[in-house]
Amino acid sequence: MELLQLILDGLSLGAAYALVALGFVLVLNATGAVNFAAGDLVMAGGFVAVALAQILPVPGLLLLPLVLLLMAALGLLFSLLAYFPLLGRPPTAVFISTIACGVMLQNSANAIFGAEPRKAPALLGEALYRLDGLTIGRQSLAIILVAAFLVAAQYLLFARTQLGRSLRATAQDRDIAEALGVPTRRMIALTFMLAAALAGAAGLLLANRYFVVPTEGGDLVVSAYIAVVIGGWGSLPGAVLGALLIALFQVVVSAYASYTVAAALLYGVLLGVLFLRPKGLFGEAIGRRA
Amino acid sequence: MRTWLAAGIRLPLAALAAALAAYPIFFGNAYSFRVLTLAGIYALLVIGYQFIFGHAGALSLAQGCFFGIGAYVSAILAASFGWSFALTFPLALAAPALLAAVVALPVLRLESHYLALASLGIAQVALLAATNWQSLTGGANGIAGIPGIAAFGHSLAEGAPLMLAIWALVAVAGLLAWQITRGLYGRMFHLMRENATAAAALGIDASAMRFRAFLLSALYAGAAGALYAHTLGVISPGVFEFPVMVACLAMAVIGGSARVSGAILGAVLLVHLPEWFRVFEKSYLIVYGAALLAVIIVAPWGVVGALERGRKRFLPEPQPRAPAQHVTALRAPVPAGADAVLELSSLGIAFGGVVALEGVSFVVRPGELLGLIGPNGSGKTTLVNVVSGFERPNAGRIRFAGRDITQLPPHLRARLGIARSFQSIALVASMSALDNVALGRASLEGTGLVSALAPARTDAHLVRARAHGMALLDALGAAAFAEQPCGALPHGIARRVEIARALALEPRLLILDEPAAGLAEEEAALLAERLRALAAAGLTLLVIEHNMPFLMPLAERMVCLEDGRVIAEGKPEEVRLHPRVLEAYLGRGSSAGVPA
Repeated sequence: MELLQLILDGLSLGAAYALVALGFVLVLNATGAVNFAAGDLVMAGGFVAVALAQILPVPGLLLLPLVLLLMAALGLLFSLLAYFPLLGRPPTAVFISTIACGVMLQNSANAIFGAEPRKAPALLGEALYRLDGLTIGRQSLAIILVAAFLVAAQYLLFARTQLGRSLRATAQDRDIAEALGVPTRRMIALTFMLAAALAGAAGLLLANRYFVVPTEGGDLVVSAYIAVVIGGWGSLPGAVLGALLIALFQVVVSAYASYTVAAALLYGVLLGVLFLRPKGLFGEAIGRRA
Repeated sequence: MRTWLAAGIRLPLAALAAALAAYPIFFGNAYSFRVLTLAGIYALLVIGYQFIFGHAGALSLAQGCFFGIGAYVSAILAASFGWSFALTFPLALAAPALLAAVVALPVLRLESHYLALASLGIAQVALLAATNWQSLTGGANGIAGIPGIAAFGHSLAEGAPLMLAIWALVAVAGLLAWQITRGLYGRMFHLMRENATAAAALGIDASAMRFRAFLLSALYAGAAGALYAHTLGVISPGVFEFPVMVACLAMAVIGGSARVSGAILGAVLLVHLPEWFRVFEKSYLIVYGAALLAVIIVAPWGVVGALERGRKRFLPEPQPRAPAQHVTALRAPVPAGADAVLELSSLGIAFGGVVALEGVSFVVRPGELLGLIGPNGSGKTTLVNVVSGFERPNAGRIRFAGRDITQLPPHLRARLGIARSFQSIALVASMSALDNVALGRASLEGTGLVSALAPARTDAHLVRARAHGMALLDALGAAAFAEQPCGALPHGIARRVEIARALALEPRLLILDEPAAGLAEEEAALLAERLRALAAAGLTLLVIEHNMPFLMPLAERMVCLEDGRVIAEGKPEEVRLHPRVLEAYLGRGSSAGVPA
């Protein structure tokens, strides 16, 4: 029963991680660059929720559309600062520019909100249900449902709409997409907005139960990265699956040992995966181009 | 004086040293000494970081973590166990180097993003350990009462003596870094970070070099960390937090990523930045972030790079003078008794479902010039990649000079004597033609970290390699361009420089991938003449070409590929008129012959 409880907690954490990992992969596929600030965008989303809740004292679920919208705007600004000035430069340059933007986000949050942990409102309240010794938080359930809804929405957007086809074409081969008349720059900007919105949603989801602090971005981007490595570099379903797996791992090992042990073990697993299966457990979606 | 000013790192370094010496004399007080001491420690950290980030071109985010480990190891041993600095300091260097070695093994052979995030992962684990391993690290409070620097009965007083000692160490460490990278070894780093494939094709083991650079970075970071702990007297888990890494990265980028002077300038500038921007108080890191972003967008070569560019406009950089003596040599093509240099048997390779090569078997005989032809997409370049080791075949074997090389990585095949050129020219644009060719000698010279440390006014390997390079450029009729940077060379000359570089390897087999592509007719004729001379000197060549008028008179035998299979083999004229070849090139029912 205890294990079942942990699995439920792990799923709820993993659902939020999945959104972060998904945003990370979307940008990776569209630009070929790693967005180091992916974790800081989650943090920003958490603080946006905290700030909104001070103005509008409503349940988190009603804040969600606002958070998505504001974070999409931040994503656009982010791409204008960190990506578009560096078109045609090596991926490392973009990597460094995203680090710089992450540092600015982190320290702006620190200057505005302070270093103390802050709490965002729960999605639909914090009631607990008890069932055969199992404690199910309404927030945990809501997190899983909201994340599942967002992942499904992203999937439908990409699989079923013309816009999604253009986004996929841009990610697959920018030159050919460009030649076919896809406005690739606009698609890339849109990808950044989408990624930031997903990260922001994750921020809102996490900032209730786990609070939000300005420095949490590093841990989150490493988690997203490990999820993406395990799920296969560049694979969208792999990222979601990888995020669920590592969250379950973290929650279960933390419960039986400690968070430090869980983090160290997870890192050991990452090195092992990189050593034995450099293309991830489920294969790499974007091959290296010779 | 002119050349002295225009060359190398001396100008900014000398100016900075003068400013540094003047500053404390005029404005010196306890506080400014402390800030400068801190700047020296950061300079040490950044000089180390340049090995992996600037020279090897890999974005590591573990430098801050190595710094923290150096600090904690020295602090714990000194404060909790009372060990002397003479013992704790070497251990503070060894510990991060050991960690670097363990982590590097799975990560360094992968692409850059793996290193970046995997190295950040170590930092996060180290931070957790420092915070939670209370009994050893003092937890969140850290360690206090760390003694000052004292060894062998002498101790360094705070203030000016400590500052001077640290800057003396920075000077030594900077000289050492400069010595390591000034010659052929430094140029090898330049090549491998710009084009890892070309480096491997010259027998340069890029992942071994990256490994060494990572260890050197860790050693320097450990030293800086230990000095930091003993200078401040207290440390907390904060040394593992991201701001230290960000500061280090920003210093390297803003100063200039591959110059010792850049590290020093970056460290001095950024350590003083919070002093100058006191209005921002604790948020000075916003300024760091903004400065980092601005520099990476506007001047990715950093302040020292910008200074050097400015200087170049007024004082042209003295190019390496081409040495007088000429040396050339060819290796014996095969051990006595062997009848094939290269022997391919039933090679097959498929990418996804697409079969690129299937059942390819042929031999290249000692001293012959074999032409390889085939329509676009027939698998010619794939074959070159398989032979030189950049693609692994799914089936079949490759024997070279009597040895099975099917499983060898590319750099080891190059060292056995397989040299190749690339379809699109793969030279380092900012480096002179002569130095590009000299890089071809790296594996034969056995250039490495140890040889780079040999004390001499100039790097002997580079001098010898340039002498060889000059002879080869001469032999290919490109000697007049020796001192020009490759980015500015005409296409035909660049082609010849690339062939000269391949020849510098003293190959037993030279593979040329479309050498005449993009050449004007006269240029192609000149190239053909040079190739004929090389063949006459006993070199074995495998030439891939579309240009039939170029290849036909040159080749002794030809092999034709279609859809990854050998469809004809024999004398050039026989292959040209072979019905299958006609069909492949011109379609079914043709009888006119492939235009010659």
